[in-house]
Amino acid sequence: MDLKPSVLEMNLVDVESRIKRFIKSYVENSGANGIVLGMSGGVDSNTVAAISALAIGGDKVLGLMLPEKETLNPKDIEDAKVVAEKFGVQTQICEITPALEGFYKSIPIFDPSERLSKGNIKARTRMIYIYYYANKQNRIVCGSSDKSETMMGYFTKWGDVAADIAPNMDLYKTQVRKLAEHISVPAELATKPSTPALWPNQSAEGELGIKYEVLDLILFGLERFMAPLEIAEQLGIPEEQVVKVKKRWLGVEHKRRMPLTPKLEFRTVGTDFRLPHGTY
Amino acid sequence: MKDKIRLALAQISSKRENKDENLTKFEKITQKAKEQGADLVIFPEMSLTGYVVRDQLYELAEPIPGPSVRRMEDIAKKTNMHIIFGMPELSEKTRATLFNTAVFVGPNGFIGKYRKMYLPTHSVFEEKRHFRPGYQAAAFDTPIGKIGLCICYDLFFPEVTRLVRLQGAQLIVCISASPAVRRSYFEILTAARALENTAFLAYVNLVGVEDGLQFWGGSRLITPTGDIVVKAKYDEEDFVLCEVNYNDIRAAETFIPTLRDLRPELFEELKRSSENL
Repeated sequence: MDLKPSVLEMNLVDVESRIKRFIKSYVENSGANGIVLGMSGGVDSNTVAAISALAIGGDKVLGLMLPEKETLNPKDIEDAKVVAEKFGVQTQICEITPALEGFYKSIPIFDPSERLSKGNIKARTRMIYIYYYANKQNRIVCGSSDKSETMMGYFTKWGDVAADIAPNMDLYKTQVRKLAEHISVPAELATKPSTPALWPNQSAEGELGIKYEVLDLILFGLERFMAPLEIAEQLGIPEEQVVKVKKRWLGVEHKRRMPLTPKLEFRTVGTDFRLPHGTY
Repeated sequence: MKDKIRLALAQISSKRENKDENLTKFEKITQKAKEQGADLVIFPEMSLTGYVVRDQLYELAEPIPGPSVRRMEDIAKKTNMHIIFGMPELSEKTRATLFNTAVFVGPNGFIGKYRKMYLPTHSVFEEKRHFRPGYQAAAFDTPIGKIGLCICYDLFFPEVTRLVRLQGAQLIVCISASPAVRRSYFEILTAARALENTAFLAYVNLVGVEDGLQFWGGSRLITPTGDIVVKAKYDEEDFVLCEVNYNDIRAAETFIPTLRDLRPELFEELKRSSENL
């Protein structure tokens, strides 16, 4: 297989209609009143908000903007509002700083200098707000995670990835950008650099140490069982770079699964308890 | 036997784990097919229960004949129709040995069944986890023609349709639960299986979303020369009527004489080679 950028091309008309059908069918079958999602102003949540609105109508989609003072960027809120207005998505701003400060104060071992643990509190706090609206208003929580982040484990466990459905999780980041443009998310927002907004000036590509255009091709090759050397040769990059991605790809499986449990009984959750989803 | 028959391709989505609701749907659509002059109505693979029901299969499966099949026999008798549909079958001799089965009933009751021989167990499919494969091709002599059955992934193996054709089937019915990412394969294979056997092939696929899997529909009737006579909508429920004229097979067999040109001695070689893959 030739690992050219064209391997990531999709029939966007089909992809759009499949995602819309998936969302519509899930919301209808669940009996929910609509969808709630966190809108960060980034390409992933803007795309999910837009396609959700196209699937079930913007009046049934609520985008929560959940800023906090350390990472506050008015441009992000503006960008989310642009998409919300264009697609008729309802919005609500909840300033989460007081909640975060409550956590910081009440955790006896809290260390403000350790930014990852602190940043994860932010992602998990946002999750709490989103699920509150879901419970209170009988909405489905729609996640915005893409396949690049999911396969790299570039998310907060039980935080930003926590959702009932994740319409974009089978699309790599560069594919999400294409889908965004296809469904008329403004071009400058479709190409906007990604950030998890856990601390100031955080950049996804900077932290991952690789451009999404290259990462997605590596992930595409790994998904199809290509050897790291073959991927490296085709992309003209060092084999170590591919091996590094592969190790992370394998190492973060714990973030993508139900918690492991020892096999003790007849049927076990997460392993051989295999029930259909959403039939009752 | 009739020279011409009318088929109704009933491309439905199933209510998972709700046999009653699906049987009611079968009945309504069969009645509609009857009113529109059809002789045979075909429903998709596992349409009695839905396809993605996982371990609930053990609760949903029934012997054949069993309660659901008896109800379908009643519908067939009442409407004077032939009906083919898919369901999980529980072996009468065991308590939890299942088959993925196509059932054929008619105005005189139960005609026969076919147990899927090739069970996909890869990618999103886990059929071998639950089902035992069938061991026999199935072609049935009926007043509406000699009809052979196969199910979905069987189409990837030319031997299944070839076997029913060699048993004399002139119409091959394939019921299916094929997800959208595999649409292009089935569009090729349905035409190929009809053409290489110079037989009519009716393909009826499920639609709907089950556990994130989306079934693509696109049910169709293919002529013995591989042409599409009718095609149902993609991704949505649909109901399509079409006609099979068995007389067309004669011309097809003279123009593309694949059956005349069969080489039985190659099958021995095929057997030997496949045993040593």
